[in-house]
Amino acid sequence: MNPNLAIKIAVPLVGLSVALVALAVGWFFISAWWSQPPAILGFSEGPEQPVAFPHTVHVQQAGLDCQFCHRTVSTDEAATVPAVEQCLFCHDFGKIDGTLSSDPDAAAEIQKVRDAFYGSESRAAGAIDWARVHRLPDHVQFVHQPHIAAGVSCSTCHGDVASMEVVKQVRNLKMRDCVDCHRDLNAPTDCTTCHY
Amino acid sequence: MVTTPDLDRDLNKRPPARSWGMVVDLDRCTGCQACVIACNAENYIPINEESHYHEGRVMSWIRVERYWEGEFPNVKARFIPLMCQHCENAPCEPVCPVYATYHNNEGLNVQVYNRCVGTRYCANNCPYHARSFNYWEPVWPEDLRHQLNPDVTVRSRGVMEKCTMCVQRIRRATRGRDNVPDGEFAPACVQACPTQTLTFGDLNDHSSRVYELSHDERNYTVLKSLGTAPNVTYLKKVED
Repeated sequence: MNPNLAIKIAVPLVGLSVALVALAVGWFFISAWWSQPPAILGFSEGPEQPVAFPHTVHVQQAGLDCQFCHRTVSTDEAATVPAVEQCLFCHDFGKIDGTLSSDPDAAAEIQKVRDAFYGSESRAAGAIDWARVHRLPDHVQFVHQPHIAAGVSCSTCHGDVASMEVVKQVRNLKMRDCVDCHRDLNAPTDCTTCHY
Repeated sequence: MVTTPDLDRDLNKRPPARSWGMVVDLDRCTGCQACVIACNAENYIPINEESHYHEGRVMSWIRVERYWEGEFPNVKARFIPLMCQHCENAPCEPVCPVYATYHNNEGLNVQVYNRCVGTRYCANNCPYHARSFNYWEPVWPEDLRHQLNPDVTVRSRGVMEKCTMCVQRIRRATRGRDNVPDGEFAPACVQACPTQTLTFGDLNDHSSRVYELSHDERNYTVLKSLGTAPNVTYLKKVED
């Protein structure tokens, strides 16, 4: 092959592929900045949790209300993940040990919760190190209580958690997302509502 | 798509709200600095080392200025606690190029840390020297880790900060309530003051103690000739 011809073909090809890669990376970062990372490479999936806690079973089958476990949501800043002890209300004293579940892994996962409370050979008794799903920047002082008091449902921001096997973030929860909703619902839009 | 925010709409639907203010009774002040320490702890202001004083880069939201009056041996120490005066006509506000400081509908001069780009125009225009700039990334001794206040944002390097009248306490106290009894809560400095030099409250509530004291016959505002209309009133008996 004529080397000049090879160069004539190769240079635009390399240039084109570099431009395409740059465009893809740029698109990824810009779209992630404006909303959420695009649903590729597992970026929009929720984090893996130390115990495979299915909200589907607890909400749809057991019929629990969100506030049954996330108890401080109507009074405090954080909705809070319940203490391990609270899981045992049903999973120890209530004798729900997962053996009757259709899911073969259920019993093993519930055993992890009991081990966290009582301790086992492999771990000392202590809190379960849940992975955080929703995180706002440190300069945002978000308080759940007024949102619940105003009648905003949990699913407005958190999506349909009841049908999630693994909880993931569904809204981008950027400042514009917050402010748009505050304007629509006639909520305060003063900066010190959230930033102080 | 980027839409222009409808600022008029935001401003017009602001409800007529409170006007938080403070009264400083200088006849009561002993210059003990309890307010300074309380403020530093509540708002975790970085610890000032000696070198910071030499460089003129001290950070404090409230300071007690000391003056000597008379000649020895008939000398008297005079103290003036000075913090952000939350001026209704604040010189710091119009000079901010990014609208990071503004006056809200509760009588507070607000500093929005995440908007601040650190031009320091506001501090240069403040006649009370009430603003301090983060020249360094804030660090605290390991022992103080659990003392830091989760209600207050950490200000990083390059950000201007100042007295907020403990807006985090205001937010917590007024959350979901329209009527908060006078004196139910107070900023850290007011709470810590052993001689009740400082009084905090709603100046729009004419039955409040702070309103009553701000109309005391001893009242004056600092640098009144500048026309800044502060929300902080000082009381001092003039001695002949």
